[in-house]
Amino acid sequence: MALTDTATLPAASEDWHRLSFTGSGREYFGIWIVNILLTIVTVGIYSAWAKVRRNRYFYGNSVLLGRGFEYHAKGKQIFIGRLIVFAYLVIYNVLLTVVPLVGIALAVLILFFIPWLVMRGLRFNARVTSYRNVRFNFVGGVGGAFLAFLVGPVLAALTLGILAPLASRWMYRYIGNNMRYGTKAFTTDPGLGAIYKNWLLSALIILLGLLIIGFLVFLNMSLIFSLIDKPQSLPPELQAAMVTMGVIGYLVILVSFGIAALVYRAGVRNVAWSSTLFDGRHPLKSDLPRFGYAWVAVSNLIVTLLTLGLMRPWAAVRLARYVNTHTAVRFSGNVGEVFAVSEQDGSAVGAEFMAYEGFDFGF
Amino acid sequence: MKASILASDNRTIAEGEWHPAHSSLSVVARLVEDAGALVVERVPGGDRLATGELASVEVSPRVGSIPRRVNFADGSLFETTDNDAIDRWLLRSGRRSTSLVHRLERFHPRLVVLVVATFLLGSLVYRYALPVLVEVAVAVTPPVVPKIMSVSTMETMDRTMLSPSQLNAGKQREISEDFARIAALSPRGTAGYSLNFRAGGAVGPNAFALPDGTLVLTDELVELAAGDDEMIIGVLAHEIGHVELEHSLRQVYRAAGMAGLIMMLAGDVGSGIEDLLVQGGGLLALSHSRTAEAAADRHSVELMSKAGFDATAIARFFELLEQKLGDRSDTSMLSTHPGTPERKKAILDYAAEVQAKQQAD
Ligand SMILES: [Zn+2]
Repeated sequence: MALTDTATLPAASEDWHRLSFTGSGREYFGIWIVNILLTIVTVGIYSAWAKVRRNRYFYGNSVLLGRGFEYHAKGKQIFIGRLIVFAYLVIYNVLLTVVPLVGIALAVLILFFIPWLVMRGLRFNARVTSYRNVRFNFVGGVGGAFLAFLVGPVLAALTLGILAPLASRWMYRYIGNNMRYGTKAFTTDPGLGAIYKNWLLSALIILLGLLIIGFLVFLNMSLIFSLIDKPQSLPPELQAAMVTMGVIGYLVILVSFGIAALVYRAGVRNVAWSSTLFDGRHPLKSDLPRFGYAWVAVSNLIVTLLTLGLMRPWAAVRLARYVNTHTAVRFSGNVGEVFAVSEQDGSAVGAEFMAYEGFDFGF
Repeated sequence: MKASILASDNRTIAEGEWHPAHSSLSVVARLVEDAGALVVERVPGGDRLATGELASVEVSPRVGSIPRRVNFADGSLFETTDNDAIDRWLLRSGRRSTSLVHRLERFHPRLVVLVVATFLLGSLVYRYALPVLVEVAVAVTPPVVPKIMSVSTMETMDRTMLSPSQLNAGKQREISEDFARIAALSPRGTAGYSLNFRAGGAVGPNAFALPDGTLVLTDELVELAAGDDEMIIGVLAHEIGHVELEHSLRQVYRAAGMAGLIMMLAGDVGSGIEDLLVQGGGLLALSHSRTAEAAADRHSVELMSKAGFDATAIARFFELLEQKLGDRSDTSMLSTHPGTPERKKAILDYAAEVQAKQQAD
C-alpha cells in the first residue's frame, strides 16, 4: 500500500514539540462526580471502570503533535487485579491479627514479590497505552526491579535519604531503558551529579524546617524546663501554649518535608527526562520549574480541602496541564513509520498493587 | 465528478485519520456508510482503505471529548475528534449512541443533584452501611478466630514483655475468687473467662482482655491498688466489658472497611487528600476507641453493682491514676484511657443512674 503521502511524525527540525493538555476542569467534573457516585452506589465495584474512564480522559487529552494518547485497559481487567490485591490485604491483615508470626512471614514473602509485581505493573501500564495506533511496551526484568524498587529505597531509608539520588537514578534507568514504543527503544542515563544538585536543594529545605523548630524550642526553653520540673503545676494557659507550639512544629515538619519532596520529584524528573533519547537520536525534555511545580501541587491541595473536594477536578486538570506543557520532544531526523508489536496486556495485579502502594508513573 | 463528491458527502459519517494495522503512519480519511458496511475512504481521492461489517466494528465509548476510535477487524484504526457525528450515526443505525454514564457526566445543572447525592450517600455509607458491614463480619466470624487470635497474642506477649507473676498465692486466690463473682454474672459465665497473673515489665500497671475471654492482670497494678481489691475487680469488670462487646474484632473490621473505602476512591481524590484521609481515619479510630472505653466503663458499673460491689470502684482507679501520674513518667495508661477526669465523672453519673433505677424496681 502506497502511503507516501501520509501524515507522519514531522521531519527533522530544531523545534521542541511540547505536550499539551486539552481537557478542562468543567468537563472532567462530570466524569469525576459520576465516578465517585457510582463507586459509592456499587460499594466500590465501579471503581475499576471509573479508573478506566479517568485514565482515558487524561491520556486522551494529553496531546503531542495534534494527537492524543489512549488508555486501553478494560474495567474487568482492573477489577480482577484489584480483587486479588484486596484479597491479599484482607488475608494478610487477618493473619497478622490471628497468627502474627505467619502474617509477618507473609509480609516478608511479599517483599520479595515486589520486584516481580512492579515489573508486571510497569509492563501492564505500558502495554495498555498507545500513541498513533502503536502501543508502548516495557521489557524490564525482575533483577532490575529488585535493584530499583527494593535495594534502592531500602538504601535511601537506611542512609536517611543521603543515597536517595542513587535510588532515583536506578529507578529512572530501569524504567527509561526498558521502555519501548512499538519496535523502537528509549534510552536514558541521568547523571548522578545532576540529581545530587537537586537533592541538595531539598536537603536545605528540610534543614531550614528543622532550624525553625530548633528556634521555636529555644524560645520556649524556660517553658519546657518548668514542664520537666513539675508537670502538673503548669497553668492552663501555658499548657495551651505548649499545644500550640506542638501543632506549629508538626506543621513546619509537614510543610518542609512536603515541599522538599515535591521539589526533588520535579528536579529529578527534569534530569531524567532530559537525558532520555527515543530511538537513539530524538531527545526528550522536561523543564518543570521546581518551585512552580511545588506551588501548583500545594495550592491544589489547599483549594481542594477548602472546597470539600469539589475543586479536585479543576486541580487535577491544572496539574496535568502544568506537567504536560513542561514536557517536550525534538526530532533529529525523520522518525518514519513505527510498527506495533503484538503483546498480551497481561494481568493488572501488578499495576493495581503499584497503585495501592503509591507508585505512580503515568505520562 | 461533482455529483459523485456530493453523493459521497451525504454518506459521510465523520472526517478523521486512518492508521493501517500496527502502524503509526496515518492518512487523512473519512468514515462512510455504504450498503450496510462501514468504509474508510482516503481524502482526497476516495480510495477504499478499510471495509467492515457494522457488527464487526468496535467503536470506543465516549469519554468527554477525547478522540473516538473505530477499530476494524483487520486491525486498522479510524480516529476522529467529531464525537457528535459518531453519536448521531450510532443513533441512526439503531445502536446505543452514548452510554448512560456519559449522559450523566455531561456538564449540566443537574450535576448539582449528583453532588448532593454523592455527599448524602457517602455519609450514609460511612454512618450506616459501614457499621452494618462490621456487624455482619463480626457475626459470621467463627469463634475459633478470636480463640487463635488470643492464644497467639498471649504467647507473643509472654515471650516478649510479660514474665511469671511474683504475687503470693494467697493474694492471687483472693482476687480470683472476687473475679469469679462478677464473671458468673456475665453472659459467658465463669467458664468463659480465665484470669492470668503476670509481672508486667514494660507494660507497667495494666490489665487487658483478649477477645476469647483471657484476662491479664499485672503485679504492678495490684501493687498500685495497695490492698483495694474491689478497685481491681472494677478494672477487670471493665475488661470483661471489652470482651462481651467484642471490641477488638470490631476495631479490626472497622479499620479494614475504612482502608477499603479509601482505596476505592484513591484515584479520584488524589494522593495528597488520600494521605490526609488516612490520617483522619486514624483520628476517627481513636475517637471510636474512646466510645468503646466509655461503654466498657458502663459495663463495669453495671456488673459491679449487680455483684454487690461498689459500682464506682473503677472511678477510684482513675482517681489513683491522676494522683500517681505526677510522679510516674509511664503514660501508657493515659494514652489508652484518655480524658481521665471526664471519665471519672461519667462513671459516677452512670452509677447514680443505675442505683436510681434499682431503687425504682
Ligand atoms: Zn479499656
